[in-house]
Amino acid sequence: MSGSRSVLLNMPLPAELARLAAKEGVEVDRAWLTTATDLNLAGSYERVFLLAEPDRLLTLALSDKSGRPATRICLARQSISEIRTRQGVGGGFLDALVDGVYVEVVAYSNARADVFHKAAAKLKSWLRGTQPDVGSEDDADPRRCPKCGMMLEFKGDLCKRCINRGAVFVRVLRMMRPYTGKAVIMMTFVLAGIGLSLIPQQMIRVLIDKVLAPGQAGNLPPANATTWLLALVAALLGIHVVMAGIHMIMGRLASFVGTQITFDMRSRVFGHLTRLGVDYYDRYNVGQLMSRVAGDTEQMKGFVHQMTSGFMAQMITVVAVGAVLFSLNWKLALITLLPAPLVVTAAIFFWKRIYPRYFRVWDANSKLHGTLNTILSGIRVVKAFGQEHREQNRFARSSGYVRDSFRGVEYTVTLFNPSIGVLFQLGGILVWFVGGQWVLAHDLTLGKLMAFLGYLGMFYHPLGQLTQLTNWLTQFLTATQRTFEILDTNPQIAEQDQPRPLPERGGSIRFENVTFGYSRHEPVIKNVSFEVAPGEHIGIVGKSGCGKTTLINLLARFYDVDEGRILVDGIDVRELQLQQLRGYVGVVLQEPFLFRGTIYNNLTYGQRDATPEQVLAAAKAANAHEFIIRHPLGYDTYIGERGAGLSGGERQRISIARALLYDPKILILDEATSNVDTESEQLIQEALERVTAERTTIAIAHRLSTLKNSDRILVVDNGQIVEHGTHEQLLGQKGLYYKLVKIQTELSREPSVDALSNRKP
Amino acid sequence: MADEPTQPESESGPDPTRVRYLTPESCRIHLGTHGALHVTVRDERIYGGVYAAYAFPVAYGDQFISLLHSAGDGKDVEIGLIRNLSDFPPQQADLVRQALARRYFIHTITRIHEIGWKYGFVSLDVETDKGRVQFMMRWKSDRAVDYGRRGKVLIDVDENRYLIPDLDALSPGERADFTRIIYW
Repeated sequence: MSGSRSVLLNMPLPAELARLAAKEGVEVDRAWLTTATDLNLAGSYERVFLLAEPDRLLTLALSDKSGRPATRICLARQSISEIRTRQGVGGGFLDALVDGVYVEVVAYSNARADVFHKAAAKLKSWLRGTQPDVGSEDDADPRRCPKCGMMLEFKGDLCKRCINRGAVFVRVLRMMRPYTGKAVIMMTFVLAGIGLSLIPQQMIRVLIDKVLAPGQAGNLPPANATTWLLALVAALLGIHVVMAGIHMIMGRLASFVGTQITFDMRSRVFGHLTRLGVDYYDRYNVGQLMSRVAGDTEQMKGFVHQMTSGFMAQMITVVAVGAVLFSLNWKLALITLLPAPLVVTAAIFFWKRIYPRYFRVWDANSKLHGTLNTILSGIRVVKAFGQEHREQNRFARSSGYVRDSFRGVEYTVTLFNPSIGVLFQLGGILVWFVGGQWVLAHDLTLGKLMAFLGYLGMFYHPLGQLTQLTNWLTQFLTATQRTFEILDTNPQIAEQDQPRPLPERGGSIRFENVTFGYSRHEPVIKNVSFEVAPGEHIGIVGKSGCGKTTLINLLARFYDVDEGRILVDGIDVRELQLQQLRGYVGVVLQEPFLFRGTIYNNLTYGQRDATPEQVLAAAKAANAHEFIIRHPLGYDTYIGERGAGLSGGERQRISIARALLYDPKILILDEATSNVDTESEQLIQEALERVTAERTTIAIAHRLSTLKNSDRILVVDNGQIVEHGTHEQLLGQKGLYYKLVKIQTELSREPSVDALSNRKP
Repeated sequence: MADEPTQPESESGPDPTRVRYLTPESCRIHLGTHGALHVTVRDERIYGGVYAAYAFPVAYGDQFISLLHSAGDGKDVEIGLIRNLSDFPPQQADLVRQALARRYFIHTITRIHEIGWKYGFVSLDVETDKGRVQFMMRWKSDRAVDYGRRGKVLIDVDENRYLIPDLDALSPGERADFTRIIYW
């Protein structure tokens, strides 16, 4: 037994329950496993305990009804032949097989699912007669945040709740470090721009008070006034020209720094994505990742923009204008501030209540695009089933949703905008009213009043904008956080610090008690062991979903085994350098993936330094040369996305040539001929015979006839190898392989089982 | 109903290629050993460890209910479909309803007290058929999926499910608050 007790699997019973249980003969102290669920078997919330004593399994609960025994279920170990967990909807069950019937022992909600998956694994060992270890190591749950306990999206994910969001700013600023000089210049220009923008209103004040009202006490004489007028107008022009220059330089600098850090971020994110394992791509769809690389990184540019003309500049402007207003006339400044709380409240209301309605508009638009895309892409099916009218209705519904969403938001906005406009005007009206009276009473000059009104616009506008700060901040932090999440995700397939080199020649494979599951508690491969000698040709067959491709994924180390190990030439694949392993194991997939580019570039994808002679030889061996040469541009023919412009068979032959050029010691053919016509298949088979000679080859195929020449065939069922041997031996066994061959023969009316079995290799 | 002992199973079973409708005349639903749900199909056998599943949970709540049996090898076999649960004697129908309640652990939301959004998470404080519950869900379209024309199923961070059968049944304020955040 482990030294320390498990919090999850050695839970103490509540004292009252322990007392009742003891009365009923339960030996709580002998229980090696005690855990609790949150549901009873009726599907209602109730704390029910599961106890495993050395020789029996019990469930206990405190009952509201007096006199009801604490023991709910009691099963002797000898009566249980199997334990399993079964997924329900929103929860699950731990079942025991008793007298050939699965009995529900415990029900649990999904919040407790992991605990019962663990308990089930322990109980299975207990049934086999071994005393399982239960200790604190069982409390570790990589799918939960170690800090707050919240379920993560996947093992090793970062907890979105516990992320230090303040640190995001620090990281973004750190990214700007190489551009510090430019950022300092930029900020200097921001301050200069704001300072200069305050001057024109002061000049207008002088213009009105000293120049445009000649003859008034203290004003300039008319002769001097003209000179002053020219000087002030020239100065105004000069200020506007300088400000334009500042904005130009600032804009360029902001654009340079913004686009550069976006570029840096995009490169880092993409670089990291290429280093992450296949398991990462199982969890996120390509669309999501594209949006992160292309969209979220753009927020970096937004950050720089916010510094130069966004919230930071606006905050400085509000403070600066406020100071000027108070210096001009503090009483009028206070009146100016009167509608400010209303402006702020209205703006907050807008961004919190009205702005989210735009989400609905975006959603409606996106659904409309989706509907249109589906209908137009599937127009042949629509027509074939005569469903044009139905699709028209479907489209009308989507289109109506867009119309209604737009109306909803626009009706509100048209009501809101004029109302907020009145609020903005309220300040001006108050200033006109009070200030006007003061001007008439000669307590205030007209110039000061006009300057005041000018500053008022400069004050209210950014104030309204500042209320969007929370909105921008949330968007920025969310998007940036998503970007940093990628950068912070550690590749699950880790490489050792000092990987071992592979021998020059070889090609042997050994699976030793390998167990693996994409989800931790549902193994897809169960305790599989087999060996492949160098140069041997192995076929793998089995029904869809039985684990054939998973075996291959493990060999190529797209995933790491949960238990056991895989050896290539006697070395555990986890001890090898990944690059070397991938160079050693070549894969030809069912759907050959070709990149946009020339045929030549696609052929040399894994071997950039291949000579034209090597490329020609590989293409010839793969039966690809003949069709390539027929293209007007031969090997320099440009092919589109995913090999557009080539047939399925042609794409496959290019992928075989690509693998051949890579010259792997071990070649994996995963349904390489299942998506091509018979003629192409024949050409591909011929190519494969040449390619696989003297290479360890593992081929997965649905068409069993393509595997009959394999040295050995492994039959996989439900994650285990259930049969192995040559084609003839397996037919003779009359097991699953025989069944599969028989079904296929009947389906294809191809050679009968007998004919197939009599065929000589 | 008292537990009945499980009788030995015969070899015969349902044809996996055809839909078989179970009727009160062709079968009897009862409890067997250790309270497990059993179905005795006339002239066929007794199936133990039976569980029930809706074929159309949204469109036909009390109809087209599949009764499945876990065979000893762990593989699930459909015994048959109940076309309409109300055709069965109340006691038997109740056993099926209890089995459904066990399999579908879903909270039905009757009122939204509070809904908030922060950094990609939606927090909800709701009244459900199982009492008042607070939970958090990720703000993602696959965490709030459509249920019929006007309903939504919310899936929290623990994968627990919360059903709003009809958004229109919520008060206008609750609906507005809900659709402001879960707008899809």
